[in-house]
Parts: sequence; structure tokens; C-alpha cells
Amino acid sequence: MNGSIVRHLILKDLYLLRWMMAGSIAAGLAALAMMPQGKVSGYVGGVSLICILIVLNIFLVMGDVVQEKKDKVLLFVLSLPVSTTQYTVAKVLANAVAFTVPWLILTAANIVTVVVSQIPDGILPFWVAVLAYLLFYYCALLAVSLVTDSTGWHTTTIIIGNVSVNFLIPFLLSRPSVSANGEGPTAVWTGDIVAIIAIEILAGVTALGLAVYFNSRRPDFI
Amino acid sequence: MTEPVIELVNVEKAYRYFRLFGVHLRLEAGQIMGLVGPNGAGKSTTIRILMGMISQDSGEVRVLGRSMPREQAAAKRDIGFVSEDMRLYGAATLAWHMRFVASIYPDWDAKYADLLVRRFNLHPDQTIKALSHGERVKATLLLALAHRPRLLLLDEPTTGLDPVARHEVLAELMDALRDEHRAILFSSHNTHDVEQISDVITFLDRGRVIDSSDKETFLDRWRRVHLDVPPTISTPVLPGTVATTVSGRVAVITTRAYSPDFHAACDGAGLTIRDVQRMTLEEIFVANVMSNRRETLS
Repeated sequence: MNGSIVRHLILKDLYLLRWMMAGSIAAGLAALAMMPQGKVSGYVGGVSLICILIVLNIFLVMGDVVQEKKDKVLLFVLSLPVSTTQYTVAKVLANAVAFTVPWLILTAANIVTVVVSQIPDGILPFWVAVLAYLLFYYCALLAVSLVTDSTGWHTTTIIIGNVSVNFLIPFLLSRPSVSANGEGPTAVWTGDIVAIIAIEILAGVTALGLAVYFNSRRPDFI
Repeated sequence: MTEPVIELVNVEKAYRYFRLFGVHLRLEAGQIMGLVGPNGAGKSTTIRILMGMISQDSGEVRVLGRSMPREQAAAKRDIGFVSEDMRLYGAATLAWHMRFVASIYPDWDAKYADLLVRRFNLHPDQTIKALSHGERVKATLLLALAHRPRLLLLDEPTTGLDPVARHEVLAELMDALRDEHRAILFSSHNTHDVEQISDVITFLDRGRVIDSSDKETFLDRWRRVHLDVPPTISTPVLPGTVATTVSGRVAVITTRAYSPDFHAACDGAGLTIRDVQRMTLEEIFVANVMSNRRETLS
């Protein structure tokens, strides 16, 4: 039963989050559909895609982790034959799927949109780096929410995450590889962009690993 | 001697403004223990330690033969837990919760669950957020009972219920205990509920177990005795006295050790017993707590 309890908890979370996942995919695809329509609509579509993934991030974490603790639904979940470590692992995996599935679909759709439309393919590394950052942001917010019960820390993480996107975009656009090839007909995956993407993904995985580690050592879970 | 269902040995837990002091508890199969204490006594902390949700700082906790919190997942297979502040998923229906819990426990009794749905007049297709407080408590009790646990841990389950709902919940708990291998630990500050269903009672105050015994012993031992005190005697000292009020030549003694010896002690001291009153569990609880607090302060 120990192995299957984690599976049951994951399926439970995915069931409860299904409409949020579906809604974000639909809204993200609508945003992507705007991108090839012209410069202004392309800008609006791109910003909308980023906003949709940030909103999904915050809604998932606040709805599935923070609210579960705040509303004392956690008491019900922990009354089941589950250890606190199993609960954390299930929560991380369920949320990883709940965000990663829409993220993967929208990232793939973004790539397809750029490749098949008149948008220059050279912008692809920029977009993948931005989307990888949103994946890291999600992992970081999830980790903070799992480790701490403080609303202050959650809010601080959200503010830092949202504001940092404003710094990330000009930073990425200023990379020589992006500025030189961004308008070009082919995507150029230079070392610095690949390194940025790798660091973003690695940092996200590390944050989640640390959350599981610290939660497994927490003496009090309620 | 069979292993107890619950065994706490010298359990300590310290928070910034609250502490559990060396708690000892023992609950045997087939018993219902009422854990009675005022708000902030440590009832919820004790029950959450038993569930493995909180780790004790020191001391040993064994539940159904399992060491807690280390073996909590295994122990909780046979525990049903209901807490007054426990919530279910508001957007999901009761039927969904029943399917979810049934998928986890191999011993889920679907017929019993359906019976409880009817007895509690619940509607499985209703979302949890549409339920009243009483219906929500009954729903959580249903989920806890229908997998036929050997141990029920109930943290103030009747708080905030109307009298009818409280009666239904208590009746169901009594029914659940027809299985002589099952045990219930029931916390409350409502002594009336505890008196109705418990056969063992433990008083907890400010993080300490101040008294623990079977209900009949409590009710038999505690008395309020009205005495005539001759002018030559100032304050009568009698066995088990926890409180004394003197008004003129009449003294009212609250004793925790009422027995034929008490009468002999009164006769020996030249006191005349005018009236002996039985005490309700609530009166015993209050007198016990106040006496303990006076002793702690002195």
C-alpha cells in the first residue's frame, strides 16, 4: 500500500487541478495563436503566454498547497495511511505534473508556432530560456510553500518571481547570441543560452529536492 | 497481558508558550477514553502526537504496537481520525471523497458507508462546501468509520454541533464500539458528551495529566459533603479534600476520596455530616482542575 498511497495522492491532486490545467492550456494556446498575427498582437500574445503560466503557477501552489494547509484539509490527508515524506513526495510529483504538462504543451506549441509562422526562428532560444525560467519560478514557489507555512514568505517569493521576469527579458535580449541572431531565420543555440536554460532547470529540480529533504526532517507537520 | 492500543510514556513536547509535561496514557482494546481538558490543555497536541503529525521531543509513543511517528503510515491503516477543525475538499462531493478513501483502504465497507449516509441523512452528490458544520462533521466521521479502524481518535468532534447532531454522532460512536477489539480516544471540553460514552476518563490541564481513572471510580469517589462544624474546631482536615468553604458553623468539603473511612474521619473529628451530594463529571472536572492549579502555584 505504501507505494500506491503516493499514486493515490497524486491522482487525487490531478483530479482536483484538472480544470486549472485545462484552462491554462486553452488560454495559452489562444495567446500563442495571436503571436503570428503582427508585431503588436505578437507582443500581446507573448506577454499573455508569460502571464498565463505565472497565473497557473500561483493558482496551483496557492490552491493545492497553501490553501490545503490553511483550510486544514491537510489534517484529512495526513489522517490517511501516509507518512509526511510520502505526502511531500506526492505533492511535489502531482504539482510537477500539473504544471509541467501545460508548460510542455505550451512550450512545444510555442516552438511550432515560431517554426511554422513568419516569426524569425532566431527568437526560439530566447523563448525557451524565458519558459525555462517560468518552470524554475514554479519549482521555487512550490518548494517555499511546502517548507514554510508563512504567508509572508509565499508573498515575497511571488513578488520576487514576478518582478524578476522584467529583469530576465532585457537580460536575455542583451545576450550577444540573442541580439545577433534573434531576427535571423534559424535558431542559434549558443553556449551561454544553453547554460542559462540548464541552470534554470537544475535550480528548479534542486529547489524541489531541498523541499523534500527539509520536509522529511520537519518534526511538526501541522 | 495484551499490548495496549495506545501507550504514551513520559511524553514531552515544548512550544514557545505551551508544554506537555511527561504525559503517560494507556488505552486498552474495547475501551473508550474521554480526554477532558479546558482550551489549551494539550488535548489536540496529544492526539496529533498519536497520529504522527507532531513529533514528541522525548518519551515513547506506541499506537497499535507501532512506534510513532516513525511507523505512522503503517499505524494509520487502522486508525480513524476526526478533528473538529478538519476540512474536506470543498469543491468535491462526498461521493468523490468516499471513492477516494475507499481506494486507499482495502477494508472499506461500502455497505456500512451507505448505511451511515442514510443514518446521517447525507447526500453523496452534494459538494462539501454546501454542507452545514454538522453535516461536515458527520461526513468526516463517515469517512473515518467506514474503513473499520481498530482505533478512533476524535479531537473534539462534537464541538459546535446542535443537540440532535451531537446525539447522532455519539450514538454512532457507541455503535462502532460494539466490536470489542475497537478502542476510541475522544477529546472534549464538554463533560456531558464524555460522561455519556466514555468508560475511562483522563483530565488534562496546562499540559499535564492531572487525573485518570474509570468513570465509575470518578463518580463514586468524588462528593460534596455538608458538615456541621463545632465552634471548637477551626478548619476540618479530611481525607482527599480538594476544596473547603466555611460559612459560620457549616463547612462544605469537596473530597476526591469519599468512602466509609470518610465518615469515620468525620466522626473522629467531631463533625456531623448533614448532606452528601454526588457530583457531576463537570463539577468533578472543574474541582480537579482548580485544585491542581492551586497545588501547582503553591
